[in-house]
Amino acid sequence: MRAAIAAFDAGADVAMLSKLHPTRSHSGAAEGGINAALGNASEDDPESHAFDTVKGSDYLGDQDAIEVLCNEAPGDVYELENWGAVFSRTEDGRIAQRPFGAAGAPRTAYAADITGHVLVQVLYEQVVRREIRTYEEFFAWKLVVEDDRCQGVLAWDLLNGGLHAIGAKTVILATGGAGRLYVGTTNAYACTGDGMALAFRVGVPLKDMEMMQFHPTTLSPTGVLITEGCRGEGAHLLNADGERFLKRYAPNAMELASRDVISRAEQTEIDEGRGVDGNVLLDLRHLGAERILERLHGTRELSMVFAGVDPIHDPIPVRPGSHYHMGGVDTDMWGQTELTGLYAAGEVACISVHGANRLGGNALMETITFGRRAGAHAADWALGHTTVTVPEGVVSDAERELKVLLDRVEGERPWQIRDTLAQTMHENFGVFRREDQMLRQGEIVEALRERYEQVVVEDKGNVFNSDLTQALELGFLLELAACMVDSGLARKESRGAHARPHDYPDRDDENYLRHTLVTWDGDRPALDWRPVTMTKWQPQERTY
Amino acid sequence: MRRVAYYKGCLASLSAKELDISTRALAPKVGLELEELEAVTCCGAGDIHEAEPDYYLHLNARILAHGEATGADTLMTVCNVCTLNLRQANWQLQKDEALLERVNANLDAVGVPPYTGSIEVKHLLWLIAEGEGYELLKAAAHKGLKGLKIAPFYGCQILRPSKILGFEHPDRPWSLEAIIEACGGEPVDYPAKIKCCGFPIIQAREETALGELIQPIEQAYEAGADAMVTPCPLCHLSLDAWQSKLKKTTGRDFRMPILHLSQLIGVAAGFDESELLFKRHVVPVGPMLDKLQV
Amino acid sequence: MTEAAIHTEAQTMEVALKIWRFNSETGERELRRYEVEAPEWVTLLDVLDIIKDRVDGTLAYRKSCRMMICGSCGMRMDGAAVLACKTRMYELASAGQVPVISAMGNLPIIKDLVVDMQPFWDKFNAMKPYLQPGYVEPPDGKEHLISQERMNVIHKESLCINCGCCVSECNSMEADPDFLGPQALAKGMRFVGDPRDGAKIERLEAYNSEHGIWDCTRCYFCTERCPKGVDPRDAIAKLGAESIKEGIDRDMGAKHAKWFVKSTETTGWLRETELVPKTQGVVSAIKEMKFAMSLARRGKVPLPVPPHVAEEVGQARALRDIIAGQGRDGALGIVQGERALGRIEHTDSGGARRDAPEVTPGEEPVQRDIGEQPGAPS
Repeated sequence: MRAAIAAFDAGADVAMLSKLHPTRSHSGAAEGGINAALGNASEDDPESHAFDTVKGSDYLGDQDAIEVLCNEAPGDVYELENWGAVFSRTEDGRIAQRPFGAAGAPRTAYAADITGHVLVQVLYEQVVRREIRTYEEFFAWKLVVEDDRCQGVLAWDLLNGGLHAIGAKTVILATGGAGRLYVGTTNAYACTGDGMALAFRVGVPLKDMEMMQFHPTTLSPTGVLITEGCRGEGAHLLNADGERFLKRYAPNAMELASRDVISRAEQTEIDEGRGVDGNVLLDLRHLGAERILERLHGTRELSMVFAGVDPIHDPIPVRPGSHYHMGGVDTDMWGQTELTGLYAAGEVACISVHGANRLGGNALMETITFGRRAGAHAADWALGHTTVTVPEGVVSDAERELKVLLDRVEGERPWQIRDTLAQTMHENFGVFRREDQMLRQGEIVEALRERYEQVVVEDKGNVFNSDLTQALELGFLLELAACMVDSGLARKESRGAHARPHDYPDRDDENYLRHTLVTWDGDRPALDWRPVTMTKWQPQERTY
Repeated sequence: MRRVAYYKGCLASLSAKELDISTRALAPKVGLELEELEAVTCCGAGDIHEAEPDYYLHLNARILAHGEATGADTLMTVCNVCTLNLRQANWQLQKDEALLERVNANLDAVGVPPYTGSIEVKHLLWLIAEGEGYELLKAAAHKGLKGLKIAPFYGCQILRPSKILGFEHPDRPWSLEAIIEACGGEPVDYPAKIKCCGFPIIQAREETALGELIQPIEQAYEAGADAMVTPCPLCHLSLDAWQSKLKKTTGRDFRMPILHLSQLIGVAAGFDESELLFKRHVVPVGPMLDKLQV
Repeated sequence: MTEAAIHTEAQTMEVALKIWRFNSETGERELRRYEVEAPEWVTLLDVLDIIKDRVDGTLAYRKSCRMMICGSCGMRMDGAAVLACKTRMYELASAGQVPVISAMGNLPIIKDLVVDMQPFWDKFNAMKPYLQPGYVEPPDGKEHLISQERMNVIHKESLCINCGCCVSECNSMEADPDFLGPQALAKGMRFVGDPRDGAKIERLEAYNSEHGIWDCTRCYFCTERCPKGVDPRDAIAKLGAESIKEGIDRDMGAKHAKWFVKSTETTGWLRETELVPKTQGVVSAIKEMKFAMSLARRGKVPLPVPPHVAEEVGQARALRDIIAGQGRDGALGIVQGERALGRIEHTDSGGARRDAPEVTPGEEPVQRDIGEQPGAPS
């Protein structure tokens, strides 16, 4: 939405295309806040924000992009507030900021614990104000490429049925992440990596695919997110012995260490038998009922509905769950991909500002700042070029392909493939990774892809055929899984969220201070590398 | 006998006097000693809550304070709207010390005793649907309602918002049915028994209101009810006094008698007309009484 | 991945549902029963997923976040709108109850549990749901300076996730499909109460239309059904309060409300007889003569003279005077907690003293086609 607004304001004829109504976007589930060096809670400046982000990324983030993010963030946040975002306030009426993981100063601007919801609402309001046309409940299935340019999108109309080609001089992908690759994810059902697969299939490289963040506080077994904001307000993590175990892993930052550090700590505690039914405990009791009701009421409700626990009285059982994909479509600082006319912004993109691990609060900021930049740049380019060509036959070719899928009556229903994929990714490509498990996972994914060739869509109708779109989503996930595993095998070090304690326990800056790139070579993923851009900061030992 | 502070509300004082009369006749039979509150006003209904909410809060705080001053632990209402309004104000005052302090300071300034938050507001319905009240009710209903099919109409504000009312499940209430059965009648079920009679907008948006009003009456009629019973005099007005308007809009003449809760029990307890005042109803109750098997 | 498929060691239970299937292409409509085995922790949404995956892939419903924030999965269970992802099935299933699942009300059905949300969004858009900045610029080009307390006025309204549960159950909208409705009006209040918005008066004028604020029947279904605690009825009341405070009170509903205030100050009790002419105007009151006579015959039109005056009614007047200067006028008078936000507990309503009977209500949901007036002669 931020990209669409920027494009519209630049004078372009812009339309949004979304498989969900825009306010259903999973950005609305973000809870804790959005990072910007506003300086409302303490002294702060963009350079500190940038350093924290660089360190948080375990030095894999591109520092020039990070500096852009941190410099432009405050202005973007003020703009959101001026548009009417309902932020929580400080005593003197300014936007309130809370401490968050791995941040040197409290810079996470928040709205109770529903910041994502508040931002999705304000963006949608601005979309409505501009009357930006939206192709709602249109499922993007392929990109239209002609003359080495991306010239549009081929989409399935979910409400009425039928394929449509929508021509456009530029296309911006803002389709989010792929948490649904895993069992126990904070992500919505909709987070199936669509944009990444779309780009990948037309030859655009994907970057740092192995970097999947596991959020330390998710509920079991669903994976429902319990915000980092709890720890920002002072909550403690305890093991079965009632110990604040982080003193053995991150003695300075404790519960506000970096997410990958905490997830690993939790997983270790659980694996070594100090967990409680496969979880650790997040204790909010000492915060008091009033504070919980005022700042964390969403969390309390989630905890009561999905874990049966009232955090005012009892600790919440939590464990690591897949949450955010640092990797994605390879872009520059303006959201441009290698394919002319194709842009990407937000979680689907990898610039990279998050490197090997993302700081809490930086994701929302990225969607705004780089969404704006991509929208502005794409509009500029579009306004400077006149032609759009959607080749004849694009729709009919796709219809033939779809017919093969829809006509099939003998075969397997998608759910078994989907569940097996998610379960095995969790087991073999989770918080801790090993060579043998990753190799096995690669084989498993191959086998699943073969099974997918025979998948059956039971609903043959036109109206609201989510059975079809869910089957197509599974296809996306399988390809992305292959990319992730290959990238993970290739990175022979531990960095950020990619932890290989058994075979490569240390960070190897000499050989691996670079991004993995994966491209489709017609048959299988092909790997390449690109060095990290450094401006101010040399890699140091990363402790919290 | 259980002593309760009795807040009868506007309608029971005026256009629905039959409600007050029948309630007073019923009270001793179900173990209730009524102490009527005099220095009170209208509870404000949804109207003052909407027009001047702070004033609504104070009017109700005054009623609660006077109720508390009688020494009773319960303030009894006979109207859905009064029940919601008083319970809502009570909830707000009981939960929020700072609010209570401000309101009490204002009450004190005009000569009203302070409210300490100790009284509970309950509709007559709740006092006799279970427990001792229910047992006494059964004993009192000696004449019974044999042969009568009675459709309970709850309306809205005795059930919702359930976080303020909370006596019974808002979608599956049972209290009126229990009372009908205790009186020897046969309760009739129909979906619209918990929907809105339209009264709050019957003047400002008559067409919309009548579109709502038709539903409970039509459904009760089609389910074979001989009469309807309601715990709210505002619903009673809609169902009874405005029933004739439905003839014009739908062409149907239901002639469905509508009884107040206390009247229904009064019939079962053998009250005579002076204690029931059916003559004040617009839709004649006679046909229902004729059906009553002795 | 449906979470229901993992954790094979979890305890499972039998769950049965009856779902109203509807195909707008063919017009076919059918109540179908489904029975599946599911882990004990499942929600209604999880059960629908199991059914769709393993039993009937044609079942259509919306879903996304499964954590009560996206608003996709609104549907009716036993005639009452809920979020499928918030509705745990354990108690129902253990009691052997078979709930009836149908699409939300007051909106046209596209397929099965999927409704056409366009009318919903149209009403939303009609509220001009975006900030219209006033003349006060924020200092230094940064943020507006506003206290938390002031922002709290619209806290509940800002929780709305546009799920449609309130609209589904709105009694007014059922009788008047053009009623703006609880969701749109709550969104309207979100702006009327936002100190940064400069269009308050225009908004209130617009919301005071025929199908606006005063069309609300106060059934409280919206407040009851809302899964997020928005309390749309309170939002509508706030709009009414602000309208009257700003002198926008031409609507009969406003006049009706103001007469209640006047009554309390003069006689204490409601001056019923005068209510009709005061609300509808004398001319209209005369047209109602025949109707009024039918009431008067029964004594239902109490004579205004001598007035029925409550004791010590002067206290009411005095109270109104005192509070006038206390800064809680208009919407600020609606209490959400003087200090912190006492967001009301949104648990299953307490106090159900008797078990629900073995009935599955909602077997035949009252679904009307748009435009079909309830009670119209068929």
